[in-house]
Amino acid sequence: MNRLNSKDLWAGLMFVAFGVGALWYGTTLSLGTAVRMGPGYVPRMLSFIMIGLGLIIAFRALVAGGEPIAKGQWKPITFVTIGVVVFAFLFERAGMVPATIALVFLSAFGGGEFKLGETIVSSLVLCVICVIIFKLGLSMNISVIRGVW
Amino acid sequence: MEVLSNVALGFGVVLTATNLLYCFIGCMVGTLIGVLPGIGPVATIAMLLPLTFKLPPESALIMLAGIYYGAQYGGSTTSILVNLPGEASSVVTALDGYKMAQNGQAGLALSVSALGSFFAGTVGTILIVLFAPALTEMAQKFGPAEYCALMSLGLVAAVVLASGSVIKAIAMVFLGLLIGLVGTDVNTGAQRFTFNIPELSDGIDFAPIAMGLFGIAEIIGNLEQRATGHSVTAAKISNLWPTWADFKTFWKPVLRGTALGSILGVLPGGGPTLGAFSAYTLEKKLSKTPERFGKGAIEGVAAPEAANNAAAQTSFIPMLTLGIPSNAVMALMVGAMIIQGIQPGPEVMTKKPDLFWGMIASMWVGNLMLVIINLPLIGMWVKLLTVPYRYLFPAILVFCCIGAYSLQNSDFHVQQVAVFGVLGYIFLKLGCEGAPFLLGLVLGPQMEEYFRRAMLLSRGDATVFFTRPLSASLFAVTALLLILMALPNLRKKREEAFQEEG
Repeated sequence: MNRLNSKDLWAGLMFVAFGVGALWYGTTLSLGTAVRMGPGYVPRMLSFIMIGLGLIIAFRALVAGGEPIAKGQWKPITFVTIGVVVFAFLFERAGMVPATIALVFLSAFGGGEFKLGETIVSSLVLCVICVIIFKLGLSMNISVIRGVW
Repeated sequence: MEVLSNVALGFGVVLTATNLLYCFIGCMVGTLIGVLPGIGPVATIAMLLPLTFKLPPESALIMLAGIYYGAQYGGSTTSILVNLPGEASSVVTALDGYKMAQNGQAGLALSVSALGSFFAGTVGTILIVLFAPALTEMAQKFGPAEYCALMSLGLVAAVVLASGSVIKAIAMVFLGLLIGLVGTDVNTGAQRFTFNIPELSDGIDFAPIAMGLFGIAEIIGNLEQRATGHSVTAAKISNLWPTWADFKTFWKPVLRGTALGSILGVLPGGGPTLGAFSAYTLEKKLSKTPERFGKGAIEGVAAPEAANNAAAQTSFIPMLTLGIPSNAVMALMVGAMIIQGIQPGPEVMTKKPDLFWGMIASMWVGNLMLVIINLPLIGMWVKLLTVPYRYLFPAILVFCCIGAYSLQNSDFHVQQVAVFGVLGYIFLKLGCEGAPFLLGLVLGPQMEEYFRRAMLLSRGDATVFFTRPLSASLFAVTALLLILMALPNLRKKREEAFQEEG
């Protein structure tokens, strides 16, 4: 039992945050009338419902407690996310092969048991597979290494 | 006979070299991801969605459907041989299937599972053929108010039948609906929640979201638990074919599993997992010797295997006839149709009969293929399991990213995968389910459209939803479901039921 660290409390607060955020960003959208609804009508309705539900969830968790949030690790989430972002940055600017190598290395770091030799081999194998599938097989319009192929 | 000519049309579409090939590819990929733990059909279909752009719609949907039911086959193989269910729907198969394998009956367990699945798949396909036209006809009488009611019912039922907290799942549905509204408003052209990002003005793409929520977040979760490679010792496979005595023990469970799975598959939120669990529980209750369950009872393999496959087939019914997905995979299938320029709904059957019947016929052909190709390939699938996770997850990541990029050849979608990966991780930590979110997301824009149209037709009178008989009864059922869930007694029962599953 944990009141301040329960999954439900934070889940409720997350829903409230989404609802408030949508209300705030949606203020410029006109509401319209019930007959001719403007673009803001349904979003605002949904926001209010979400805030309501979120408050109920959070309140119930505060009163009754709930399952605590399992402790996470910072490494997997950080490295995998950075890996995907870097991939997105490199894919057009440098090509598929550099992007793939970067993603494999970064995510392998996040995986905990990093071995340099293994990662080199697996990234190269993966590059070959990707070239065969996407460039040769599906003839997608992508550069393998920018400026070279 | 109209039914026969429809079926003939369907087989005409499937039995071409290209479509047979895509059906085969779908089944193989499905089996592969069914075998591998850590990646499910939702992430895979999202990943492969962009690759289906250039295909004709029939081929694309035939392949994607193959992935879905192929995964059910693959999942059971590894459940039985190495006690590693690759899919949630084959968790129960492992209970008795693996015990059977340890008792030297691996071959029997595999063949019962394959034959039961094939039988159930056939029945499921026949059910679609028989009931789809009737449902479609009914759906054509629906006005916007009815559609709105039907979608609410679908979303609520999906939440009630899924495991976990009901109120959180409902909140997730609303979050999905809200995020589904991102983009240009159809009626007024106003930009909603686009933050001046031009890529968002066409609406938010659900494929990168599915990849993030079901692919990336899953990987991060697995890495935290240090999921490493499994040292696998597969049981020896001997005498594959069941004897007459065996047959007598399992034909009834197969029939019951098929029936139960077929019904649960049609219900929103149902699908293979629920079907398999319920069938197992039912067999245990009916059995004269329930103590054998968990120790290698053949009924404990036959019934859930038949049920999960039957449910995989019949869950296509609401999607094909009404355009309403009953689970996350069907939500992606709806998306795949929209990408191909087809609005899912009752018109598909009349306007695109070749697509509709071709897809249904392909399911039967695919099931047949799975039985024939899978038994000889079992050894290969088991070997694949020895590949450590640290080789596997970078490959999944790379395929997700390239898939997301190729949606519109823009790295914006890859960034979107990253964002929803983080969001999915937060959902995971807070115990919020991704499936209701995805359903809400896919149905959001349509539901708003119907809601606004219904209100316009009724001149702003919200009672229209309760005065039209069909819509009123649909809403009544929805309300009843919600009230039932709020009753403390039933809530306890439901928790117990899911406890048993876990």
